[in-house]
Amino acid sequence: MSKTFVRVVFAVLLITYVVTHFIARAHAQSSLGIGTNDAIVPSAGYFGGLMQWINAHQQAFYRSLTGALKAMREDGSKLWLLVGLSFAYGIFHAAGPGHGKAVISTYMLANEVALRRGVMLSFVSAFLQALTAIFLMGLVFLVLRGTSIRMTDAAWFLEIVSYAAITAFGFWLLWTKLSPRLRGVFGSAPAHSLSAAHAHHHGAHGHARHEAAHGHDHGHAHSHVHSHDHAHGPGEVCETCGHSHAPDPALLSGDRFDWRTAWSAVAAVGIRPCSGALIVLTFAFLNGLWVGGILSVLAMAVGTAITVSLLATLAVTAKNWAVAMAGDGRTGNTIHAAIEIGGAAMVAVLGLLLLTASLTA
Amino acid sequence: MLADARLDVNLSADKQTIVSLRHIWRFDEVSSSMMLVDLDQNGDLTLDEAELTEASKIMMESLAEFNYFQIVTADGKDVVMNPPSEIKAVWEDNLLYVMLETTPKEPFRLAGKIDLGVYDPTFYVAIDFAEDDKMVVAGLPDTCARQVIRPDADEALAQNQATLDQAFKDDSPNTDMSKIFATKLELTCQASG
Repeated sequence: MSKTFVRVVFAVLLITYVVTHFIARAHAQSSLGIGTNDAIVPSAGYFGGLMQWINAHQQAFYRSLTGALKAMREDGSKLWLLVGLSFAYGIFHAAGPGHGKAVISTYMLANEVALRRGVMLSFVSAFLQALTAIFLMGLVFLVLRGTSIRMTDAAWFLEIVSYAAITAFGFWLLWTKLSPRLRGVFGSAPAHSLSAAHAHHHGAHGHARHEAAHGHDHGHAHSHVHSHDHAHGPGEVCETCGHSHAPDPALLSGDRFDWRTAWSAVAAVGIRPCSGALIVLTFAFLNGLWVGGILSVLAMAVGTAITVSLLATLAVTAKNWAVAMAGDGRTGNTIHAAIEIGGAAMVAVLGLLLLTASLTA
Repeated sequence: MLADARLDVNLSADKQTIVSLRHIWRFDEVSSSMMLVDLDQNGDLTLDEAELTEASKIMMESLAEFNYFQIVTADGKDVVMNPPSEIKAVWEDNLLYVMLETTPKEPFRLAGKIDLGVYDPTFYVAIDFAEDDKMVVAGLPDTCARQVIRPDADEALAQNQATLDQAFKDDSPNTDMSKIFATKLELTCQASG
């Protein structure tokens, strides 16, 4: 079974479950039951005042934004006002409560991702989110209108898929971080013999050895079955697999950027359209302002990406600082491991919380 | 979502009790568009009788969880309101109007300090009373004073600290902030003989 196969099976099971069990009572996603609400924010509790403050400012933005939309309908040259406001909305909105930045930041914490790439990931996920919104609205206007499928249902469905993906991604990340260490605990006999045996990356890059040394690719149990076509140079086959040894810090800090992992993070976040974008698009499309609506949503994405990049950079800088403070020795490694595992656990828990909230809403 | 609201407080003939609260919410053009696209099942770009009935049904179900966005207290204590018998949805000039009327479960005496607020605790709908006179009590007796209290966001942020301190003391994190931060109509009545 390849990892892709496992994922596909999981996804199909999940989607079937969601479709059969929850679609029927999908009308409670927002307090009105019509339209989608963004982050599920408690107004009660310790941070009610802060939330209220953020909310008041978001409302002010909403007013300016809708004002600009109406202005553009009368006068096409107001497009730039709308684009500018959308950009600002994106920046501000991403600073508010939401899950996208949390997932990207913790993903960057849990993986040694070069900052430049992290910034790129933020941009890709923000644009994917914008594209999902544009795609969804396009679908609503061109296909779904006049059918009994409500936009609220479609948006809610994407939300569930996104949260489920985040949860799955979090647990998978946690597993990749924990399993090599667990193997260390269980002694020299590989705890997961199948996965440890010949766990090659079946991608084209030559780091099979690094990957395997960390158990980074466990779960690929039988990947050699269909990856026999690539040649193994001597020493490229994993010789140390299954041996218990602490992760070598040199390798840990090395560049082991995995595109598939990165893409799963991006996709998990990006598949859920943000409700601000949906609102702007609905009004724009309804009034035939196709270009304006799309440009506005793209501007929002740029704004969002900038904020998420900044937050992710802050998180990674803080982590590096903590590790550097602790020095090269055991403490440094422990802190490093704790941050990585903690980060992965956070993604998993966040995903679970969002998913449960969304399903029980 | 943004809605302009109006609240009418209806008194009994003898002006001794509050018999019902009547709410009208008019959604702004952009919010209304959102509703239209969501509810327009036959794609004719307007909401007909059947689609509006469906909207009412959805709102009846969804709003129940949030006490129909009402905050009703007498001398700081919650006053239980019955669910409305119906929610009326009207589509006019490309705007969605929502109307509902609730009655108190127990007789609601017009006495002491009464606070009436309309607020969505999930922040999904911003209910806006544009002017103070959008909160109306027809025939309010002279023994009562009315005042509209508008929360200030920056003040709310400052109060957050106080709430945190308070929360540590009384150990009840479930203090409902919406009571503090909603726009409210406050009626202060002297006991009438």
